Amino acid sequence: MFLIPMKLELTNISKSFPGIKALNNVNFYLKQNSVHGLIGENGAGKSTLVKILCGVYQPEEGKIKINQKEVNLDNPKVSLRFGISAIHQEPVMFDELTVMENIFIGNHIIKKNNFIDWNQMTKKSDEVLAALETNIKSSDKVKSLSIAQRHIVQISRSLAQDADIVIMDEPTAALSQKEIQELYKIITNLQKQNKSIIFISHKLDEILEICDEFTVLRDGGVVSADLISNTSKNELISNMVGRQINQIFPKKKVEIGNEIFVAENLFKKTQFKDISFNLKHKEILGFYGLIGSGRTEIMKTIFGINKFDSGKLFFNDQHVHIKKPLDAINLGIVYLSEERQNLGLTGTMSVKDNLNLAMLEKNSNYMIVDELKNLTTAQKYKDKLNIKVSYWSQLAQNLSGGNQQKTVIGKWLATKPKIIILDEPTKGIDVGSKSAVHEFMGELVNEGMSIIMISAELPEIMGMCDRVAVVYKGLIRKILDVSETSSEEILSYASGE
Amino acid sequence: MNNKILLNPPKNILNIFYKKEFILFLVLILLIIFNSQISPYFLDLYNLIDSTFLFSEKAIIALSMTFVIIARQIDLSVASIIAVSSCVLGYTTSIGLPTFYVISLTLFSGGVCGAFNGFIITRYAIPSIIVTIGTMSLFRGLAYSFLEDQYYNKFPDIVVKLGSDYLFGYIPYSFLTFIILTLCFAFVLHKTIIGKRIFAIGNNPDAAKYTGIDVDKYTFVLFTMNGIFSALASIFLSGRLSSVRPNIAFGWELQIITMVVFGGVYIYGGSGSILGVFISIIILGMLSFGLGLLNVPGVGIIIFTGLLLIISIGLPSVIKYFRNQNE
Amino acid sequence: MILKFIKNRDFILFTIIFIILVAVGISNPNFVTLKSLSDVLTDTSILIILALSQMIVILIRAIDLSVASNLALSGMLISLLSQIYPDLPLIFFILLSCGIGTLLGLFNGLVIAVLKVPFIVTTLGTLSIYRGLIYFVSDGKQVYSHEFSDSFLSFIHVRFLSLTSLFWFAVCVFIIIYILLNYTKFGRNIYALGGNPEAAKYIGINENRYIIAAYVLSGFFAGLCGYLWVARYSVASTQIAIGFELTVISACVVGGISVMGGLGTVTGCLLGALLIGLIRNALPAIDISQFWQLAISGAIILIAIIINTKTEQRKEKSIMLEKD
Repeated sequence: MFLIPMKLELTNISKSFPGIKALNNVNFYLKQNSVHGLIGENGAGKSTLVKILCGVYQPEEGKIKINQKEVNLDNPKVSLRFGISAIHQEPVMFDELTVMENIFIGNHIIKKNNFIDWNQMTKKSDEVLAALETNIKSSDKVKSLSIAQRHIVQISRSLAQDADIVIMDEPTAALSQKEIQELYKIITNLQKQNKSIIFISHKLDEILEICDEFTVLRDGGVVSADLISNTSKNELISNMVGRQINQIFPKKKVEIGNEIFVAENLFKKTQFKDISFNLKHKEILGFYGLIGSGRTEIMKTIFGINKFDSGKLFFNDQHVHIKKPLDAINLGIVYLSEERQNLGLTGTMSVKDNLNLAMLEKNSNYMIVDELKNLTTAQKYKDKLNIKVSYWSQLAQNLSGGNQQKTVIGKWLATKPKIIILDEPTKGIDVGSKSAVHEFMGELVNEGMSIIMISAELPEIMGMCDRVAVVYKGLIRKILDVSETSSEEILSYASGE
Repeated sequence: MNNKILLNPPKNILNIFYKKEFILFLVLILLIIFNSQISPYFLDLYNLIDSTFLFSEKAIIALSMTFVIIARQIDLSVASIIAVSSCVLGYTTSIGLPTFYVISLTLFSGGVCGAFNGFIITRYAIPSIIVTIGTMSLFRGLAYSFLEDQYYNKFPDIVVKLGSDYLFGYIPYSFLTFIILTLCFAFVLHKTIIGKRIFAIGNNPDAAKYTGIDVDKYTFVLFTMNGIFSALASIFLSGRLSSVRPNIAFGWELQIITMVVFGGVYIYGGSGSILGVFISIIILGMLSFGLGLLNVPGVGIIIFTGLLLIISIGLPSVIKYFRNQNE
Repeated sequence: MILKFIKNRDFILFTIIFIILVAVGISNPNFVTLKSLSDVLTDTSILIILALSQMIVILIRAIDLSVASNLALSGMLISLLSQIYPDLPLIFFILLSCGIGTLLGLFNGLVIAVLKVPFIVTTLGTLSIYRGLIYFVSDGKQVYSHEFSDSFLSFIHVRFLSLTSLFWFAVCVFIIIYILLNYTKFGRNIYALGGNPEAAKYIGINENRYIIAAYVLSGFFAGLCGYLWVARYSVASTQIAIGFELTVISACVVGGISVMGGLGTVTGCLLGALLIGLIRNALPAIDISQFWQLAISGAIILIAIIINTKTEQRKEKSIMLEKD
């Protein structure tokens, strides 16, 4: 018997895709006015659940009840009508349209003659923005807004849609401490307005702070669901992972050598300035900062994708000029982008070809592909990384996500790099696999490579890095020795304090 | 762990049936049988050989266009480049330049046009479809403004010979060139690192860039090459027609693209084979030839080509639909 | 504030039009008489209608290359019909032409949306197929002016306020499309779909329906222009409007419609069409031979699109704070 009414009830929900059962008999109960944390590793089924609630997917089995009445969420429009609205991690925005249009997209206010009522829409848009106490204007074009501001526009959209159930997917990933506090205020505000919120985050501290209750998903099933007051962080972790995680950061001790790479006063207009740091042999140097702080831009420039306006780079004490990626690769510097699929894998080429893609010149004779060398390289890295593939001509796009990632890594390792730049290597990866990646990084430095790791996860930085450069809005605020600093100190530099 | 894995999936005869090239080959056989039943003139060797004249010039461009399309680009200006280079051919002949310069300048003009395409596409990052729609007009327009309503009909002897004569009396030079180029292109695409890079660029240009491939350079070179091969084709064509007007090769871009796409090259890039394009060219050539023997007007052939193009790409969707219905 | 106004694309186009009028007027004063300008407007009317309807397709990141062939085929079919039944009411021919155009456009839409054949391939194909069909239905022969009824030909020459009804057709189409794109959900969703197709799906916009709708509209107006063209030039043949699709696209591009989708205004498109139409008419007025038309057309597309790209260039979002 529940004293507080159930806003949303999912019972026995199942959903499969070819080869995988994404959700298996899931029960999910959202109380009225509550902030309900949805926790789980990646692949646990959270995003499938969200898509079902948004009407993008339909469950094969199970019932959905809203306000105790059964409903069928056949498509996004129906879902909207029932008051379900989602705020995605990557804001769903239309850059060339104004804030007001983005708020009302798909939901325009129309006059009796079926024409759009621009006046009413502007009025309501102004109201909603004012209610959120933001200084964004209805007439601003979204393309000029920051990520935090886009999140606010998304929230405005939910308010304008009179949504009762607001799903927030990793809303604080890109926000500074100050902006996060403001978001919490908005959430409390929404609760007062009778909204119920599903809050998805992998930051367990956040869940513990802001949520009233929680549900933990693992491998498509519900592992536990309760009030937040009845649990602890460790319990949450062990529920998520299904085992005790003792050693999350298995970094072997390596002897750090001399400096091998120096960046001096890198500057790129509006992107970053005064970027100076060095990297030592066998070191793992972290680059920590919020999303949008410029870390990726800096690394992309070092790798030769973009040019910087001024500054120097030194490799082994030699002044080097990196004008394009090939220059960096030839020096032994490689970059693994955080957008693993988009920027790493060539789907319609075979696994063998993918593994050899950065080694084309070396594995050839006068431009003609040397099949034997290709095979040797491919075999070596398939074994080393344990890539599951049945035959060489298998297309890379047919591999599982994890194996695809290994293929991308294999491609780079084949070039025998000296410096590896990893951009958010464990983003979106479950805790179990994170550990495997970290262990792997440890092996790499052991074999003599040096790593620059961009990460937005403090525990990862503290556990894996020797030093960390803290970046805020395009500047390196401080370079700290990890063993001599604390999470709080790093966090405060990263937030601009 | 050191288990060697097979290079290819286990030899299953049934796998062959799914390969595009095999299906095309079947279509070719069927077509030959069909055509020979329909007309007694079809299987005549001399007729068949002569029929190659009609498609060899387009075929040469189709080979180069295959690279362009695999690299996820498209070039609608090829026919207009033919117009420009034939003008150059005619003009340089008319002012009495030696043959060597005539031919070099013709090829050079094609290269310049192609390089112009490549420059605008890479420098301003504008989709090739819209750039080549523009240059399609610009180039042919230049030919029109240059020639107005005149025409050239004098070309160096070697050009006429190349365009309309036979090696050893049997093999047309244009067809021979096409065969030789087919082998060259096939080799480059499937056996060299250049080919691998083109496939990589076509499938995922960003990933290719991050892997150190100079996407802009390759794009520029591919368009320049397309221009040069268009100019080469215009040499054969002018030699065959012996008369060059500014509307030469009008509408050829559609036919050339059809040859490529019908051969199994994916229009959005990343996959395809020269073998497929080769068989496709033969099929389309025989189709035109056969229809011609049946006295179907040229226009009918064009309509048929358009339909064929749409059907060949649309068919997989229809099949997928029915397959889904059955599940 | 003033600077923003000056940078406004519509204002720039307007200025260019004005400059050209002045420049040509100086060298050929006859060009800027009321009569002559009214002729220019009449001449440009069909281009305006086609550009506005093409705009809808370009907004959703596609192109319709078959409009000219569509126009020609529709025009030929009603002309052949009028040969046999010249006394049918004019409105019947107009509606029939629109209907044929709509069906041809629907074919495009279905092939692209349902059969998933890319728009490049589809419209390149239908460009040829429709053009070829003209030969078939007409046996390659023309329909001459004396074979049309008076009512058929004369309507578009009727003048209201000293401008031909052909021009007023264009004005009506402008109003319709302006309202459609700016005051209806359909129109705003077209912008959304073109601007961010992935996101549009999340909002519940059915991409296939909009693709079909866009091509149907494009076909409808092409059909309408089929009648208008035949009536204006008093002849129906296999050669009419050959290559005109390129002029239409250049008008859109000049008018600021982005080929990346989701960006462009109706007034901009109108101004783009007016500018292109003006140039086409101005060239002969300053003694430039018609043989230059094609080259100039192509050059204009290229220049306009390069300018578009430079102004659209997403200014890299500034990461650093102003003060740093």
